[in-house]
Amino acid sequence: MMKKTIAALMITAMTATAMTACGGNSGQTSTSAAPETTAAETDAAAGDTQAASDSGATALADGEYTIGIGQFAVHGSLDNCREGFLQGLAEAGIVEGENLTVLYENANTDGGMGTQIISNFMSKDVDLICAIATPMAQTAYGATKRADVPVIYTAVTDPVLAMLATEDRMPVGNITGTSDKLPVEEQLQMIREILPDAKTIGILYSTSEVNSQATLEEYKAAAPEFGFEIVETGVSGAADIPLATDNLLEKVDCLNNLTDNTVVSSLPMILDKANKKGIPVFGSEVEQVKIGCLASMGLDYIELGKQTGHMAAQVLTGQAQASELPFEIIEQASFYGNTAVAENLGITLPEELTSSAAEMFDSITN
Amino acid sequence: MSIILGILEEGLIYAILALGVYITYSILDFPDLSVDSTFPMGAAVTAALLLAGVPSPAALGISFVCGVLAGIVTGLIHVKLKVVDLLSGIIVMTGLYSINLAIAGGANLAFFGQDTIFENGLTAPLLSSPAGDFTVTIISFVVVMAVKLLLDAYLKTRSGYLLRAAGDNDTLVTSLAKDKGTVKIIGLALANGLVALSGSVYCQKQGFFEISTGTGSIVIGLASVIIGTKLFKRASFLKTTTAVIIGSILYKACIAAAMAIGIFKTSYMKFVTAALFLIILVISNQSKKKGAA
Repeated sequence: MMKKTIAALMITAMTATAMTACGGNSGQTSTSAAPETTAAETDAAAGDTQAASDSGATALADGEYTIGIGQFAVHGSLDNCREGFLQGLAEAGIVEGENLTVLYENANTDGGMGTQIISNFMSKDVDLICAIATPMAQTAYGATKRADVPVIYTAVTDPVLAMLATEDRMPVGNITGTSDKLPVEEQLQMIREILPDAKTIGILYSTSEVNSQATLEEYKAAAPEFGFEIVETGVSGAADIPLATDNLLEKVDCLNNLTDNTVVSSLPMILDKANKKGIPVFGSEVEQVKIGCLASMGLDYIELGKQTGHMAAQVLTGQAQASELPFEIIEQASFYGNTAVAENLGITLPEELTSSAAEMFDSITN
Repeated sequence: MSIILGILEEGLIYAILALGVYITYSILDFPDLSVDSTFPMGAAVTAALLLAGVPSPAALGISFVCGVLAGIVTGLIHVKLKVVDLLSGIIVMTGLYSINLAIAGGANLAFFGQDTIFENGLTAPLLSSPAGDFTVTIISFVVVMAVKLLLDAYLKTRSGYLLRAAGDNDTLVTSLAKDKGTVKIIGLALANGLVALSGSVYCQKQGFFEISTGTGSIVIGLASVIIGTKLFKRASFLKTTTAVIIGSILYKACIAAAMAIGIFKTSYMKFVTAALFLIILVISNQSKKKGAA
């Protein structure tokens, strides 16, 4: 009986190893990963960080560092945060594969998994934990409270509401980072400039995401000032989105996207439906504009990640304590527009916006 | 060291959930999916209560009661409205999702800094002592043992015997002039009460409520019950409830080991769980066949 059990466990382990060997190389870097995996990863990382080191010719920082990156979900913006974070570290001379070992785990939106990811990092004595998105940051804070491991978070919309910082932006513990709070007023101002006659803005959000609810409240509070009315529809999962979109499109002049994970994942479908009705969709960050939103006064998550990476570098090299650094936000909203989308909709993006654009796209990436 | 503590903490807290699942799945033979929402319900209730200044032990009790109510609803839907067991659970699971959001006022509610069963005036000396790292494990262990002993005692009462009879042979319950429906409802109420209690303890350890925590609770519960009951089937000196608790710790240990070895990306974790699940089931079926021949 016991022998059989062991045999069976061995078989599973071997099957799984074989499986990962074929399908691997797609993301995870681990200290104990097979050499070929590490090599491939290092190449990729070097590619990303090459530009940074070329321009700045930064010298490598002293010391060897190991960090754990725990990400809450697989998601374009969050992936960009992670990429930017590593670039930010590299700019400060902490380069993956050179003097930095990165452990990366993704919780796939499973809260229970988040806890185990953090305790796995702790058991490997990481020098710093990078937590991406609110639940991950809270888990990391709870788990590291009595350990001497600093936590740097990013993509936490409201660190104060999440109880990770006090009103004056100071950390509640050995934890700090960056917020991805959306520039709501700037976005409304932009929509007004592009659509002078619009009256109603539709917003889809998922009821399970606290960031979306907080942002939605801000939109509702700020909308009257710009002469808009917000019509919102909450969804409880991706399956609700097609019907909710159809319903919402009947009532509004344009749609506006938040950084809602569920809704953003279904964005191509929403864009398709809106295009058929000739209703413009505004995005909340650069990736959304790339795939077909008309425009956005939003965040660049790579930049946000870089800023976070700089903070992490300060903490790693001992220049600052995480507990003494206030959390940061991106002060300047940047304009992103897509001229191909504008053409399809028969809209001309105003000159004053396009002239100061951070980036303009002339095609729709699928 | 910290990884072992992590496994023990998680394993013990989820053991309370596993004991609940054990009542429905093993004793009542009722696949109760409402668990996926009663677990976060316990967490939501706890977060809301703690922020309102309710003492943490009271939050445990109230969470349990809320779970009991949810279990009664599942039971009533199944027994009185004659809905299939699986569907009754799914209906309650779906409905509770919205109720949980309403209780917590959103998808995420943090209460860092509030007194919890782990961090309060009484545990402060323990936390600051050299054994401070063990605080969560010790307190979780005490809670789990209390739950286990109470459950063992309950299963020996008249009501407990009826519960076990209802799963094995419900004609017997009827022949004893008892309503098997009522017995099922009691079982579901107790089970979901325990699950919500587990959610409450879990959330007090975490310091925040998050709606997504419930995803997959039923799988964790079932895996723990099956690992525990199948692996220790021959070990007659162990009570089944103890086996379930060990099963829960073993389950968490498997996950932690797979993660620490680093063979698996976390996205394969569900697959690994499924494979493990299947293997244990197959092995136990094989040994059953041999025993019969």
